[in-house]
Amino acid sequence: MTNPDFTAKPRNMADPIERLTWHYENPAAEAISFAAGGIPVVGITSDTAPWELIRAAGAFPCVINSGNSNYQDINSFMEEGVFEERIRAIFGAAISGDLQHLSLLLIPRTSEQEYKLYLYLREVARQDPKRPIPPVYLYDMLHTRSPESYAYGLERTRRLKKQLEELTGKLADDAALKHAIEESNSARKAIRKLCRLRGQEPRVTGAGALALIGPSYFMNRGEYARLAELAVEMIKDRTPLAGKRLMITGSSLNHQGLHQSLEKHGTVVVAEEDWWGSRSAGNDIADESNDPLKAIFDKYYLDMPSPRLFPVDIADAWFQQASTDGIDGVVFYLPPDDCVAGWDYPRRRHYLDERGIPHLLIREDAMSISKECNGRIEEFVHSIEAGR
Amino acid sequence: MAEKQLDCTLAAGEHQKARFARLRKDVFEEQRPYAIVQADMPFELFQVMDVPVVSNQWWAAIISAKRLSAYYLDTLNSLGFHEGLCRYCSLAVASTLAKDPERAPWGGLPKPALLCARLTCDCLQRVFGIWAEAFGSEFVFIDNPGATELPPRWWELSRYRWRELFEEHRLKFTVVQLQNLIRVLERVTGRQFQIDRLCDLMERVNRQEEYFEEALQMICSAGRTPVRMHEQVANVMAAQWERGSDWAVEHARAFRDEIRDRIRQGVVACPEERLRLMWVGAGLWHDTDFYTAFEEEFGAVFVWSMYLAFGPDGYIRYGLDDPLLALASRTVSMNEQLHNPPWANEWIVHQAKQHRIDAALVLTPLGTRPAATGNRFIERALEEAGIPVLPVIADMVDARGWDPKAMRRKVAEFLTTRVLSRRQST
Ligand code: SF4
Ligand code: SF4
Repeated sequence: MTNPDFTAKPRNMADPIERLTWHYENPAAEAISFAAGGIPVVGITSDTAPWELIRAAGAFPCVINSGNSNYQDINSFMEEGVFEERIRAIFGAAISGDLQHLSLLLIPRTSEQEYKLYLYLREVARQDPKRPIPPVYLYDMLHTRSPESYAYGLERTRRLKKQLEELTGKLADDAALKHAIEESNSARKAIRKLCRLRGQEPRVTGAGALALIGPSYFMNRGEYARLAELAVEMIKDRTPLAGKRLMITGSSLNHQGLHQSLEKHGTVVVAEEDWWGSRSAGNDIADESNDPLKAIFDKYYLDMPSPRLFPVDIADAWFQQASTDGIDGVVFYLPPDDCVAGWDYPRRRHYLDERGIPHLLIREDAMSISKECNGRIEEFVHSIEAGR
Repeated sequence: MAEKQLDCTLAAGEHQKARFARLRKDVFEEQRPYAIVQADMPFELFQVMDVPVVSNQWWAAIISAKRLSAYYLDTLNSLGFHEGLCRYCSLAVASTLAKDPERAPWGGLPKPALLCARLTCDCLQRVFGIWAEAFGSEFVFIDNPGATELPPRWWELSRYRWRELFEEHRLKFTVVQLQNLIRVLERVTGRQFQIDRLCDLMERVNRQEEYFEEALQMICSAGRTPVRMHEQVANVMAAQWERGSDWAVEHARAFRDEIRDRIRQGVVACPEERLRLMWVGAGLWHDTDFYTAFEEEFGAVFVWSMYLAFGPDGYIRYGLDDPLLALASRTVSMNEQLHNPPWANEWIVHQAKQHRIDAALVLTPLGTRPAATGNRFIERALEEAGIPVLPVIADMVDARGWDPKAMRRKVAEFLTTRVLSRRQST
């Protein structure tokens, strides 16, 4: 994770790719400047928080990705080896005072670890009220597919709307919701165009694509969409990249480490089953609806990835479709801290084997891929070349 | 196996064996449906519908006690499930995937009609999904809404004011899911659910837990403990798995009576008792001798675990005019109460004080992550209350990586340097 640098600016402000990449590397920059300007900032911890609702209530939504996993106090509260690095980093940022610019830290129930993060932060704040921890809020959308989970999530979304309105003093009325939907749909549209430039004839590397998609979580989405569209225009005339086209699945990646390691071997990562990449946009929110709040909820309930999603056929649908869409090989990323995606591995491996799609398992932390693992990647790439 | 001092303990063991033999007979010979369920499921509904259950955790403990965990976990790994995945919940699944009934305890688990779990972590639906597919059985789940109102001293609210303690929307949501489960049970059994039967059962569960509470109070106030922790666990859990049944209520009463008699007769579990220890976390099922290993040298006796204490505080519900709602309240926050802040740390310190605990061992099971959360909060709270803590990094069912001698040395050192030395200085 990179530390936010609020003073540096992209070298070339006119270059949309450079500007987006700068925001990817400085994820808190825009949030901090909005907060300084008196706009309430709502931090979110992952993808299943309804961005549009926060925006419509007049706050600035921003995914927290500039955490502090080295903050020494973390170990006083959090067990080592139990939480994934990204969650530890957010926890560290919250208890160290690094998130003081937030008016609210909204924790969606995307994963069980986030629920625990919520309970931990509440308890640290209770035990030590002087600690500069932002107020925390659990957005408890459940991800199982049942009528009662749906009704529960919709009701929780209504509650969240009220909470946000109280926070900002601004009503998130239908007009404001529709405007926010338009804004975020424009970002989604641009991201889908970027993703299309990765497919059969990739014109951007996977690492590059992450840096262009990720800022949609850190920036004003209207401005993001404008820059991303410009970036698409610049990229679309590039010569297609050579190299085997890989897809990544498994644990989520909030950095470029794995993509860079794979692409060093002459491959191109053209898709990743990850809300930081290919799965960040999904479908638009249906804006013809007369109930924009429900339309927003539907989007997050039905179309955003979460490890809690169940049943399996729905949870596997994207993987099955993407892995058979002209991919040369699939990389399963199950770092040492994984305790969830590993359960899917044998089933998905079997799916690929039945279709003759090569795959590779990586069990190391992508931030520090070993020499041995690099050797295995190299071998894997050769085996694909030999086999096709 | 650790020594059994109580007649009740032997009776509980015999009962469990006979119960399982009956289950196999009913299932194989009479095609009676049974269910495999996660430990925190509302067992009461299965009881009311006469569907026998096997708890996933109980079966894992049996496998582990029979020293089969390494074999099954290796099998799981060889199928492509990596070693970092949870072991407590998956050991029993592994015993099914191994397809080796000859080796399995008591001939292994027969095919269940249902597998049921509450989704308290992100892997449970996966574990149970894999299991259901292997058996060709149906999987029914209960989703787990998060708690946001966290009043202090939950155990003072849980009996009478449980409606306030567990937010209304969480209870309502859970009731709908219980109703779904009831419909499935009706379909599987061809019988109709009767709410009166549930109400009776809930009352009997209250009675059972009241007996346990009396037993707990006696253990607390006796000068030296009349019953060791591992025997408390064996008796309590045999009854909790079928809570509210005639046998379970009667067994809880017998357990209380035997403890009372022991106290009256001046019988103590360990005459050398000088230190009272607390075990925080699930049991160390592969090495239960561990719990008596420090008596001879240190007079250190394990007197507390969550198993007995959670019965009264976690299960008793008064005001049963809506038994399904009461049952939802018993189900909805079990994980938070036992493992997570603020509830687990507060409760455990309260229990430690009540039981005059001198030191605590806290299990951090890295092979079972949700059961490992909340531990730092628990450890800090105990230390702040003046109770020295030794964190134990180990797995409750996986003996691989457990070095019994080294762990015993570590505990001995802890008792010498942190507990006895302190005593001498005060
Ligand atoms: S994380 Fe815990 S509850 Fe989940 S499968 Fe593992 S042991 Fe079971
Ligand atoms: S370890 Fe904890 S969460 Fe797991 S079954 Fe036991 S009590 Fe429940």
